[in-house]
Amino acid sequence: MTEHWASRWRVPVIWGLLLLAGCLLMGQLEALFRWVEPDSRDVIFSRVDFLVLLGRHLLVVSVAAVLATLIGVGGAIAVTRPGGRDFLPLVAQVASLGQTFPPVAVLALAVPVLGFGTLPIVVALLLYGLLPIVRNTLAGIEGIDPSVREAARGMGMTSGQILRQVELPLAAPVILAGIRTSVTINIATAALGATVGSSNLGDPIISGIVNGNTAYIVQGAVLIALLALTVDSVFARLAPARRA
Amino acid sequence: MSAVNGERGNTVLLTLMLVGLGAWWALPVVSVAPNRIVPGEARYAWEVAGPAMALLASLPMALAALSARSADPGWRSLGLVLLALAGLPLWLVLAVHQLIDPELPQARLGIGSGIWCALFVLMLALLDLRTRQRLSTGVSWLLMLTPLALLAVCLPLGLNRLALWQEYQGRADDFWLAIGEHLLLVTTTVGVSLVLGAGIALLMRRYPEVQRGAFAVLNFLQTIPSLALFGLLLGPLAWLANRYPWVDSLGISGIGWAPALLALVAYSLLPMVRNTFVALEGVSPGVIEAARGMGMSRLQIFFQVRLPLAVPVLLEGVRITTVQAIGLTAVAALIGAGGLGRFIFQGLGQAAMDLVLLGALPILVMAILADAVLGNLSRRLGRGEAA
Repeated sequence: MTEHWASRWRVPVIWGLLLLAGCLLMGQLEALFRWVEPDSRDVIFSRVDFLVLLGRHLLVVSVAAVLATLIGVGGAIAVTRPGGRDFLPLVAQVASLGQTFPPVAVLALAVPVLGFGTLPIVVALLLYGLLPIVRNTLAGIEGIDPSVREAARGMGMTSGQILRQVELPLAAPVILAGIRTSVTINIATAALGATVGSSNLGDPIISGIVNGNTAYIVQGAVLIALLALTVDSVFARLAPARRA
Repeated sequence: MSAVNGERGNTVLLTLMLVGLGAWWALPVVSVAPNRIVPGEARYAWEVAGPAMALLASLPMALAALSARSADPGWRSLGLVLLALAGLPLWLVLAVHQLIDPELPQARLGIGSGIWCALFVLMLALLDLRTRQRLSTGVSWLLMLTPLALLAVCLPLGLNRLALWQEYQGRADDFWLAIGEHLLLVTTTVGVSLVLGAGIALLMRRYPEVQRGAFAVLNFLQTIPSLALFGLLLGPLAWLANRYPWVDSLGISGIGWAPALLALVAYSLLPMVRNTFVALEGVSPGVIEAARGMGMSRLQIFFQVRLPLAVPVLLEGVRITTVQAIGLTAVAALIGAGGLGRFIFQGLGQAAMDLVLLGALPILVMAILADAVLGNLSRRLGRGEAA
């Protein structure tokens, strides 16, 4: 059992360890970055510790992801019940139409309404992250063969039982794929949050672009890429059957 | 129609209109600023021209909410929603005449969150009514364009005092240049990735062992955040340009269009390859068999049978790639690739929100248009083949 566990989670653990090592040991690579950027005084981004930046990035993304999952799955369930069916066509259309909006534009439009800082980022990520989750939850629940539902009802299950024991388990892989898409997009969009006053792993990149310091840019880019790969590989292990 | 709405009436429209009314009365509808630097002063609906006018302006929404309760509101609701939409630009004209001092050439009117929310809710209502009335795509596009057309008509009537318009006037040449840069980068990306993607997809069909590896690499690339990929390409390209003068003389350097195009193509390859591959594989073996029976050669089968049948799914790949590239190009502005993203990040840097809008709104429109046009084309071709 443990061996099975170890082989299953090997890839995410490796990416995660690389990420942690990157955060902790970036300072040791000063010689390398000095070679990349010989003209600058500082070659290691040191305004904020990399671990702190990683923590902030994870916090913003996970708060948005948890809220988006709760609201998205809850909302999709609500509009597939008899009471909320009226809203189903509109919600389905908005969820697919909304995904054509570029995340950058959504982030940019959130700022005039919500202001600068971390809270607008969370709200923008939450709103945008809702779309794939709602869309996939709807697809998952609507995709269930009606005869399965019929059979469950025939066995005397109540609507609540059908939802919990039949519909949600059957739709789970599709819902999970939606959450994965949402989180992947959000990690990338959160990095842009550094341009609107929210400090995270995007900070070194933006600050490197502003100051013309390639070493900063590379440090931020490597860490964000490692973070995205770690999180994505975790999702890949949770849903082994599906590959988006 | 009553079967669609049921005896409860149209609860969706009722909810939307109540939200719209709430936004109209609870949020500031416009803001007034004497010049570009001073932040605008928010004004509520009743502060523009008295409570009576505000009440009058919110009447169409209230009537639409009432009409939603009857069993078959249909066209009446649609008319009221359109009336409410048409009212928004007229309201802005009224606000300009009431609030903007004509003596101050720099004075400007900002659109407030109340109007944005009302616009959003009314668009949703239009979308919902469109589905219920089963309007054709053409008619619904015409309906969506009405407020835009009205906005253009109202421009000489005083809307040139809108902050958004003033930002545009200050950099009109720059604006069209940015749109050109944006479109050029997007079309180049789509073109290059179409050719490369088709090549990779053909290789995959030839050598099945390529398939797993290529999809793994492309999936991997797609996972890496755009900002990071732009950053990672910046280093090697800068080094190349330093090392080899001929690279530099081509205009390739760490910042600018080169890393942007490379990263954009890298992102575009996954949807392009996936769709091309699926499209070519998806042609039914029976059809190919029939073509072979007719004595067609392998090349003839590919170009006259397989490729034409695959075009709708292929176009779907072009659609996904184009929409994605329009958004990602905005991010590329950060590494100096130009385009509309420049206005967004300049505006964010100067806290000039109307400049942000000037960049973000055209991007939004471009994405929606590309999605609609290419989606329609692919559906139409698909239907043509099925018939």
